[in-house]
Amino acid sequence: MRRRRGGFPWFAYLIVVLGAVAMVMPFLDMVMSSFKGPGEYGVIPYKLLPSSFNLDNYREAFSQLELFRLFRNSVIVTISVTVSVLITSSLAGYALAKLRFRGRAVIFRFILATMMLPPFLLLIPTFLIMLNWPLAGGNDILGRGGDGGLATSLISLILPFAVSGFGIFLMRQFMVSLPDEMLEAAKIDGANQWQIWRLIVLPQTKPVAITLGLITFIGAWNEYIWTLLISSSDPDLQTLPVGIQLLQSFLDPDRTMPIVMAGLVLSTLPVLVVFLLFQKYYVRGVVLSGLK
Amino acid sequence: MTATQSALRAGAVPVTATRGGRLHREGRAAYLFLAPTLVFFCVFLILPFIFAIVLAFSDWGGFDLGTIHWAGIANFREVLSFDGSFVKPILVNTLLFAFGSVLLATFGSVLVAYCIDRLSFQRFWRVLYFLPVVATVVAIGNVWKMMYQPAGLINGVLNKLGVNSVGFLSDASYALPSVTIVHAWASIGGAVLILTAGLKAIPEMYYEAAEVDGAGAWQMFWSITLPLLRPALLFVLITQFIGGLQSFALIIVMTGDGGPVNATNVAAFEMYQRAFKFGAWGTASAMAMVLFVIILVITLLQLWIARRRGEETS
Repeated sequence: MRRRRGGFPWFAYLIVVLGAVAMVMPFLDMVMSSFKGPGEYGVIPYKLLPSSFNLDNYREAFSQLELFRLFRNSVIVTISVTVSVLITSSLAGYALAKLRFRGRAVIFRFILATMMLPPFLLLIPTFLIMLNWPLAGGNDILGRGGDGGLATSLISLILPFAVSGFGIFLMRQFMVSLPDEMLEAAKIDGANQWQIWRLIVLPQTKPVAITLGLITFIGAWNEYIWTLLISSSDPDLQTLPVGIQLLQSFLDPDRTMPIVMAGLVLSTLPVLVVFLLFQKYYVRGVVLSGLK
Repeated sequence: MTATQSALRAGAVPVTATRGGRLHREGRAAYLFLAPTLVFFCVFLILPFIFAIVLAFSDWGGFDLGTIHWAGIANFREVLSFDGSFVKPILVNTLLFAFGSVLLATFGSVLVAYCIDRLSFQRFWRVLYFLPVVATVVAIGNVWKMMYQPAGLINGVLNKLGVNSVGFLSDASYALPSVTIVHAWASIGGAVLILTAGLKAIPEMYYEAAEVDGAGAWQMFWSITLPLLRPALLFVLITQFIGGLQSFALIIVMTGDGGPVNATNVAAFEMYQRAFKFGAWGTASAMAMVLFVIILVITLLQLWIARRRGEETS
């Protein structure tokens, strides 16, 4: 498997290690800065190491940032989006992979096409749709008159990400290769399509479900632009990335940056742990998306 | 219905009658399974897409739909006029940002993927390079902003080497290259993974044959690896270019307003500001549409290349 051509690869080691230093250094600087006390950050000459590893900035981050509130919002949004994407993708993927019906080819092609629409194009209209959502946030049945519509609720951070064209595509490609005999046998035993999906197909899709779940989880946890927009009028809707970013724009940067760094360390940790635990699946997902 | 009719003509009545019924039931189940997806795409894709097109051709501020006016191509004329700031410097910045970061990231990732492929502990190295992809843009942007400061890590190293501090983000001529480097840095990891899959697909016997012929590592790279890696390389180049054209989260985090004086302002960010700071929905939507058309042309080019290659190999 490994290619050891032409002796010990000194040059390859040099390149990879130098590059790895460039990759890790910013994260190291982030962790180190999160321990720097007043008068230690923003001083010339630059020092990487803090004078002591006390947790003052972390305590400060919890009190100034209301970190628990941000964390709770992030968890609610991320879990809801991930569960929704997994369910809708496996339902639609199964229909497109294994059921015969009129319009299947058209719908599949349509779902492929949805992946070509870039998110920034839909940003303005989706925001306006949220504001004018009927019967939400004081709106009437025509979506008028209210103050903020659906944009006043965490639902507005979940709904636009609840279905993923990529997820359906991934599920469908995987389910096509499930043996038809298995499904036929279940049908002969009298199972209906819902039971086949629930009891036979779903357990088989575990590996691809982990891959898709992980990609969706990390994407939702890190989502920034849409959340920034929605929470600009309602700070109660802020998630971790948005809340932390807004803190540093107010106050004295040399004092707040270490606190921001502490918040960033805490907000990066959960997603880092999840990634490292399941990195095998994540890597496969990226490769799958690359090889269509 | 037609399936049953044609089967009737074929003369296989009892079997196809039940088969037709089953197909009908399967169709109903399929549409039930697809229902959430189809409803979602109607509300969050088709409706906003049509809305985006209408907005680009209208004159509208505020939130009352009653005051919307048809404006024809006035928005586009305003946006694409050379007197404004959208074409130059903003659209030029967008292209430089996307092109520069793709060039850096592709060069870096080919080098790194090829080198990792010759080492032990390959997965460890790849995970290391992938870390920036997992971190939020707020973490990446702020850490690099901090490192670029006069009292930050990079200027600290430069000062040690006897070089004067550089105003990476405050100097208008350095600001765009500085954010471009960060974007490239953050996208190397994903490219390495895709290129690795491409590298693994190259049969080992090609290298063995070249070794027998006395080729060196460098020669093998140029005459075997690079040509056979072309499909994966092209995919990375195009998808990352498209990603670069629409990315602006990093720029919000690092520069706040696309400054100094528009030096780091890009098209999607200008659209965002025009819409949500000034409520100029029409102008902003026209900007979005211009950028979308550019991206669409590149996407179609990619599909065309992929299809042509498919015909070549089959």
